[in-house]
Amino acid sequence: MRESPSRPDGAPDALSDAVELLREEPRVRPEWRDALLRQVETSQRRPALVRRRVSATIPMAIAAGLVCALFGGGVAFVTMRPSHVAAPIAAVETSGGLTVPVRFSLVAPNATMVSIVGDFNRWNPRALPMRRSPDGRIWEIEVRLPLGRYDYAFMIDGRLSPDPAAPRDVNDDFGAPNSIVMVRGS
Amino acid sequence: MSMRTAIRLSGVAMAALVILSPVLSPALRAQDDPLSHLGSGARVTIERVLDSARADGLPRGPLIDKVAEGVLKGAADDRIVRAVQSLWRDLAVARLALGADTDPAVLGAAASAVHAGVSSTELRRMANPPPPGVRPEPASLATALVTLVDLVAKRVPVTLATSSIQELMDRHAGERELSALRNDVDRDILAGQTPEASLAERVRAQTRTNPP
Repeated sequence: MRESPSRPDGAPDALSDAVELLREEPRVRPEWRDALLRQVETSQRRPALVRRRVSATIPMAIAAGLVCALFGGGVAFVTMRPSHVAAPIAAVETSGGLTVPVRFSLVAPNATMVSIVGDFNRWNPRALPMRRSPDGRIWEIEVRLPLGRYDYAFMIDGRLSPDPAAPRDVNDDFGAPNSIVMVRGS
Repeated sequence: MSMRTAIRLSGVAMAALVILSPVLSPALRAQDDPLSHLGSGARVTIERVLDSARADGLPRGPLIDKVAEGVLKGAADDRIVRAVQSLWRDLAVARLALGADTDPAVLGAAASAVHAGVSSTELRRMANPPPPGVRPEPASLATALVTLVDLVAKRVPVTLATSSIQELMDRHAGERELSALRNDVDRDILAGQTPEASLAERVRAQTRTNPP
């Protein structure tokens, strides 16, 4: 069995050599070192790039959000709005022919919301809300209608009711009677 | 999830919303299409009726309005389909009686009268133009039909309502007379008189003042 030569400090020679080797600066090829340094530099720059990207993304996200909000709001306004909330004379979609102003009125002092629905507005209760008179008793609206015959009814606080002052239609297909208005040119 | 990923995802979501908004907008507008509220079976049936109406030269508008009315009144799909089919038949009968060039308003009033029980023969008779001269402005056929339907809706028997209106038209009753008749009958009914008795009496009164 061969014994390792010993140094005065008592450490084996092989171990001392290894320690010396570790203390030396590692010998690497210059191109490896340069590549390593480039990588280190790049990795040190990356946080700055991320910061720039984040600082650019936040305003873009806010801008996109604003665009969304404006666009969505516009779409909702166009599609959900009552067609002629405050117009003194409301109009319905026509094919461009002659229209005649027709005044509808209803005595309903206890009602909180009244609108008119009929063939002229595809029975849409939001399309033609009526306005309360200054004394609060009468609800009225003037609508420009093309010549023709229309079934209609009042929507009083969510309930349908025929016009007591107009001819009644016999077509009671859905259990709620309608009134009839004839719009004539003269 | 890191902050960076969250921001990226929210950006993508917003961009998607911006891109999809024009697509979603027609979807919102489709709520205005009454047929979009129906189940697929009812929609197919009604689209077939609409196609037939177009092929027959009948107006489609009143049929679509009928769907909208049913939707607003919360009617079941099958009830809406029956109402549309019934209106389609009434319009066809009315057009057969009055001719292909009938004004849509008159056609609608005539279809309503057919629904009330007025026959094609009676419709044709009422549609005959009055002889010229006696009165300058006789009531239009549409107004006469609307008055007739109103009387039937107030439970006047259809035969009595038809003969009464015909009699007044033969005497060249004008818009004012027909409107007065309707208001008078309304008042009489509210006062407790039966609709038949009221109509008979009011027509007698008018014929006394308007000789043929």
